[in-house]
Amino acid sequence: MIKTENVIKIFHTRSGEVRAVDGVSLHVKSGEVVVIVGPSGSGKSTFLRCLNGLENFSNGHIRIDGRDLADRHVNINKIRAEVGMVFQQFNLFPHKTVQENLTLAQYRVRHRSKKEAVSKAEALLKKVGIHAKVDEYPNRLSGGQQQRVAIARALAMDPKVMLFDEPTSALDPEMVGEVLDVMKQLAREGMTMVVVTHEMGFAREVADRVIFMDEGKIVEEGTPEHFFTAPREERAKLFLKQVL
Amino acid sequence: MKYQQHGWFWRLLLVVILLAGAGQMWYAVNKVEYQWGWKNIPRYFFYQADTAVKAPFDSIVTAVNAEGDSAAVLLTSESGEKVSLTVDMKDLRVKAGEELFDDDTVGYLHQWKTGMLMKGLWVTLWISAVSSVMALIIGMMAGLCRLSSNFTLRGLAGFYIEVIRGTPLLVQIYIAYFLIGTVYNLNREICGIGALSLFAGAYVAEIIRAGIQAIPKGQAEAARSLGMNSFQTMKDVILPQAFKKILPPLAGQFISLIKDSSLVSIISIIDLTKAGRDIASSTFATFEVWITVAAMYFIVTTLLSQLVYYMERRFRISD
Repeated sequence: MIKTENVIKIFHTRSGEVRAVDGVSLHVKSGEVVVIVGPSGSGKSTFLRCLNGLENFSNGHIRIDGRDLADRHVNINKIRAEVGMVFQQFNLFPHKTVQENLTLAQYRVRHRSKKEAVSKAEALLKKVGIHAKVDEYPNRLSGGQQQRVAIARALAMDPKVMLFDEPTSALDPEMVGEVLDVMKQLAREGMTMVVVTHEMGFAREVADRVIFMDEGKIVEEGTPEHFFTAPREERAKLFLKQVL
Repeated sequence: MKYQQHGWFWRLLLVVILLAGAGQMWYAVNKVEYQWGWKNIPRYFFYQADTAVKAPFDSIVTAVNAEGDSAAVLLTSESGEKVSLTVDMKDLRVKAGEELFDDDTVGYLHQWKTGMLMKGLWVTLWISAVSSVMALIIGMMAGLCRLSSNFTLRGLAGFYIEVIRGTPLLVQIYIAYFLIGTVYNLNREICGIGALSLFAGAYVAEIIRAGIQAIPKGQAEAARSLGMNSFQTMKDVILPQAFKKILPPLAGQFISLIKDSSLVSIISIIDLTKAGRDIASSTFATFEVWITVAAMYFIVTTLLSQLVYYMERRFRISD
């Protein structure tokens, strides 16, 4: 589903080059849930953003369903339509109602009819549990509700993969649960997911594989049992000691 | 809190200061013994014109029919040609059966006509309106170019904005008319509108650029991550949000444009200012004319800013 080869992302700053992502090779199979953890500044969010082309990578290959993002002839918009993304800051469209948030890209990208798009939106809002708020504007919703709308908005495109960029980091603690529940349900339904998060409970419970990144590199990789109980690397042990 | 309790004091002070200013002005004007002539002014808004109605050819008046205040005069020439003329009843100068020669006066017609001030106001309004629309189009394009990733587009937009903002509008109008207008044989209205549009467009471009940059980056990223292309993202997500933010400064710019349009009077476009100058030089009622002209500009800009204020409140509801 997703196959990356030696992805390198270099930021040029005044103090010189920063290798935010430094040679990451990863293979995510269809239906797999991969959770990426690591200290802040480890390049995990940058790597995730490379996966749908929001960030241009400097070197390497990222293949989504066999199509290489590094290939200039690949239409990035077509790939993005298949790769849903959920952001830390929700990024709902504040000038559109909840329903319009879900239908806009369906019209523009999927060219669906109004009837089709609206019924899709309603079904997804029911699924994430905010069916009563279709005609509200996003800023009338709580953070947890907004994030669930954002997940529904990404799902409305019928993506093959979902990317989550610290989806609960901007939420009040009491709202984290409702968002994680939606994500767990998605994982159970067999959605392919790549999740960057600090929620170790979620990683342990839902992940098929945990990736630990530090300084732009994959340091440790394995099943949750392996990672949380018997990590090999010293840096991973240190990290776990700090967060658990 | 203290100020609110004594609100009446500050209100009174405001009135006193304004009255003192007006009083000082009144005293100074009296001192120069200016002869006020306000009665001359209304006819430059509307006036009643007497138009002489004349016989188009040698003829005989065959009939005079009264129709209320006016009269229909039927003329028949020797060759049998007929014509019906309408004049005011009280200024009828012919009787039935009378013989007339070509160009003889049949009577007079009184008509209300718009005076120079109203005509000038109309010219000011339409020149400002056309320039505003064009400034919006130019500004939108230049603003988007300024944010483009293409170096050439960015450079062109930057050059345009810097040149326009770094030179006086008066000089731009001179160049538009005496240089570009002469070279390409353009009439004065096109030169005036072109100069105003390009001038306001540069400011509109900066307003639009700022408005777009004020929208969080996450908005564009969210739209792009759904597969929308950059045009759709701009049109459906960024611009609608930016527009709400830029409405007040944009309206301010268009109100400025109405005032700046007074400068086109120097290339002899008869706008409100030029009309004022012409009237002042023919009546010598300088004080009255310029006070009137200022009041007319003030009324137009105030109405417009009230309209924008109303629109702003309407837009806020959807937030």
